[in-house]
Amino acid sequence: MEIVGFALRRLLVAIPVLLVSTFLIFLAVAKSGDPLTELRERQPPVPPHTITAEEARLGLDQPVLQRYWNWLTGVIQGDLGPSVDRNADIGMEIGSRLGITMRFVLIAMLIAAVLAILVGVVSAVRQYSWLDYLFTSTGFLFLAMPSFWLAVLLKQGGIELNALAGRTLIYTVGDSSVIPPPTLGGRIADLAGHMILPTITLVLINFAAWSRFQRSSMLDVLGSDYVKLATAKGLRRRTVLRKYALRTALTPLVTVIALDFTAVFAGAVVTETVFQWRGMGDYLLESINGRDVNAVMAWLLVAAVAVIVFNLFADILYAALDPRIRRVR
Amino acid sequence: MSADPPPVPATAATPGQWRAVLARFRRHRLAAAALVVLVLVALFAFVGPLLWRYGHDEITPDNSQPPSAIHPLGTDSLGHDLLAQVMRGTQQSLLIALTVALGAAVVGTVIGIVAGYYRGTTDALLMRLVDLFLTVPTIAVAAVLGHNFAGSGGGWVLIAVVLAALMWTSVARVVRGVVLGLREREFVSAARALGSSDLRIMARHILPNVAGPIIVSVTILVATAILAETALSFIGFGVQPPDTSLGLLVANAQSAVATRPWLFYFPGLVILLIALSINFIGDGLRDALDPTQTKGPRRRRYLAQPAARTDAVPDDVLLSVRDLRVVFAADGGDVPAVRHLDLDLRRGEVVGLVGESGSGKSVSAAAMMGLLPPTATVSGSIRFAGQELVGLAEPRFRRLRGSRIAMVFQDPMSSLSPVHTIGDQVAEAVRIHQGCSRAEARERAVELLDTVGIPDARNRLGDYPHQFSGGMRQRVVIAMAIANDPDLIIADEPTTALDVTVQAQVLAALRAVRERTGAAILMITHDLGIVAEIADRIAVMYAGRLVEVGTAAEVFDHPAMPYTRGLLESVPRLDRPADEELWAIPGSPPTMTALPAGCAFAPRCTVRVPDCSTVVPELVPLTAGHRAACLRLTPEPLPEPTTTIPERP
Ligand SMILES: Nc1ncnc2c1ncn2[C@@H]1O[C@H](COP(=O)(O)OP(=O)(O)OP(=O)(O)O)[C@@H](O)[C@H]1O
Ligand code: SF4
Ligand SMILES: [Mg+2]
Repeated sequence: MEIVGFALRRLLVAIPVLLVSTFLIFLAVAKSGDPLTELRERQPPVPPHTITAEEARLGLDQPVLQRYWNWLTGVIQGDLGPSVDRNADIGMEIGSRLGITMRFVLIAMLIAAVLAILVGVVSAVRQYSWLDYLFTSTGFLFLAMPSFWLAVLLKQGGIELNALAGRTLIYTVGDSSVIPPPTLGGRIADLAGHMILPTITLVLINFAAWSRFQRSSMLDVLGSDYVKLATAKGLRRRTVLRKYALRTALTPLVTVIALDFTAVFAGAVVTETVFQWRGMGDYLLESINGRDVNAVMAWLLVAAVAVIVFNLFADILYAALDPRIRRVR
Repeated sequence: MSADPPPVPATAATPGQWRAVLARFRRHRLAAAALVVLVLVALFAFVGPLLWRYGHDEITPDNSQPPSAIHPLGTDSLGHDLLAQVMRGTQQSLLIALTVALGAAVVGTVIGIVAGYYRGTTDALLMRLVDLFLTVPTIAVAAVLGHNFAGSGGGWVLIAVVLAALMWTSVARVVRGVVLGLREREFVSAARALGSSDLRIMARHILPNVAGPIIVSVTILVATAILAETALSFIGFGVQPPDTSLGLLVANAQSAVATRPWLFYFPGLVILLIALSINFIGDGLRDALDPTQTKGPRRRRYLAQPAARTDAVPDDVLLSVRDLRVVFAADGGDVPAVRHLDLDLRRGEVVGLVGESGSGKSVSAAAMMGLLPPTATVSGSIRFAGQELVGLAEPRFRRLRGSRIAMVFQDPMSSLSPVHTIGDQVAEAVRIHQGCSRAEARERAVELLDTVGIPDARNRLGDYPHQFSGGMRQRVVIAMAIANDPDLIIADEPTTALDVTVQAQVLAALRAVRERTGAAILMITHDLGIVAEIADRIAVMYAGRLVEVGTAAEVFDHPAMPYTRGLLESVPRLDRPADEELWAIPGSPPTMTALPAGCAFAPRCTVRVPDCSTVVPELVPLTAGHRAACLRLTPEPLPEPTTTIPERP
């Protein structure tokens, strides 16, 4: 019960933050230019009343503050507003693209976290062993690796692998085949096949920082007094590691991963452009280029909510793992 | 009542400290090499274009050329010379990243210091601001703003401003964390008490002390900024053509990896190289600024060489230490933390082990518990109830730990696991060594907690350590120590971290334990008051050596070694006027890696003779059981103490 109250409080705190951030970004996008430029400059010219009608549909004839207000009241009622693209419904569009993006973001985060924990803990327990040196240098390499470069590199690797095999072993373009396989199993395999490379990209660029963090947090715990006292009680090293060290060394990573969610998402945007996925990243770039205020806003809203949910989840997990947090705050 | 010198008011980092940091950085070979690489890359980016025959926007007749003598990195399909373009791109990326880091450092530092210093509402508001920046993916906002500015021709400055505005949060969080801790430190309180304005305190006292963390986090930020800028340019919202950036170059080469690989590999490798160098530099800086976190030494195998013993250990002697030596392999050279320690503990006896910080007390205790890190080499002999502990195999040592030798650490706040209940931790101590059921172990835990004076013990088994006060926690630790009726309890400064009133309670608990279990206690402490109260005998250590040992009465009434005398002089006594300032032994203990030849105390000794700096004094017997190590003790008796100790300042 405490946790529910705690969660509610966190959500309430997030609301003013969301209001301010949406307002600022609304201003920025609204000021970024006229979304109807293309329509106005079309040859042969479109009739003026078409343009006026479009302006009215998008609310461009109103002052910015009024437009933000309209957007805000709309959003509260579940209306994300009209898109510059007449035929698109922003909600539908975001929904399908979010599914595509989250699919590989979540899996990549999970794999990266597991990998980071394994690598970090092993490095710390075997500090200064050859394994530690190996993990540390790989970590440094991937920390410095530009995500897009790695993505293109992997894509090229996939292309060459396919060329070598003489058939498509691994998909390098798109999030699914244009003509989906007829069976359900086939469709799942098809989706998975398309996910391999982007997921690897995202895992590699994120696990490095996390494993470095996990290593140092494990080292801290290993040097702590309570681990020493547990050893002094006469416990086996294995028991000390499992019962005392691991448990406390994992908690800080939870927060780090949650805070890094935006970074993972940003990495996903870049990765998607390389592999030409029609996901959130692609939608963002498209909407910015089209000066589609409502679409960009919807995008950011979804991203912000995702971040908040993630942080909330992390806080709850943290509280569950660490009794010290449960009562305070 | 502490034998420590009174705390010197900590001051801001001095120039000397910075020189030491620089020296440590230079010793970090990888970081120093990375710095050289980075300087070379910067020269390449800023001086290179002045010397190179092609401009970055110059179109040469050779298009799509692989690397050659004329175009070392080849050309693109339009005929641009890639070397010129990479130089320009690197220049843009570096300019942006450095500006971002600088901007973020300034904004982040100011906000972090203000939030950490004022706390309360200010802090809460500023941290909400940080949250605000953390809720939106940087790349999205940067893309929106980058798109806004794309047409305005602002170039790299605008991109840098946008990224800096989005990236200051990491610096602010680090700085705030450090400042929150600093605020309570004595030099800040002192400055506040002297009436310094807040602004002055922040600028003069706090800023220099957060400089280290700022430098490290800003360095790492440069790498982050490079990666962010190139990614932004890659997706088309950063640097715009006709100008170029490393990200843009990679973006343009995407589709041509197979046909014109040079266009793809060179710019990417330059980004990798820059980011890698910066991370290494950051790592080196972190180590240089925080010497306790330095890289480990090569040698890391725990070595123990037990010495053969011919002497018979009398039956009533529980613990007999002979010629114990502990050497740590460390970066700055070997640290001989314990040198030739000889010490005996009889059954049921309480021995107080005193000495200044760093004199090797804790290391000696760790050797007796078999808890030394792998960097240690141990030699000599530790006989415990007839068993040699030096070199004892871990499984056998484990059976002694917690059952026959138990330990109480200094800080009860950190010696209990925060995520396990008290009951669990105490019952576990019982269960490890006694094959009993969970229920029995719990019953015994209640009993133990009762013994050490935890009120209402049964109902507190399910509580976590944070629900206990410091004194209670230490009593819980003592309860764990006596769980298996040990023969020896090593208590390493069990009261140092506690309030004076609580100290008395913990001491009472220890005394009760002693009476009930008859365990011998090795009481390590700085506090001579405690020793006087509880110890049968006193052992004094200085720079890793035992310098005096004897019954409490002998040592207190007739201290023989000048260091012991100084130690006793620095204890407040009822027979001296209260307003008289405490006398502290002038000078500080020697550096363990550069011990003076002869007597280690010689540089601080007021009665030294020329021989002191060449001859190592051995322990000489004075009266029965009282021994001290000082050259002045054998040839001639020491002059009266009143004349040996100089005027008090
Ligand atoms: N793991 C280690 N590696 C290298 N040197 C060490 C290590 N542990 C301790 N030392 C060094 O050994 C010396 C003795 O340290 P020790 O902790 O025994 O001092 P102490 O007498 O317990 O001091 P304090 O009163 O501050 O607890 C110090 O110079 C310390 O720097
Ligand atoms: S040996 Fe010499 S320097 Fe050392 S304590 Fe004695 S008199 Fe002083
Ligand atoms: Mg100590």
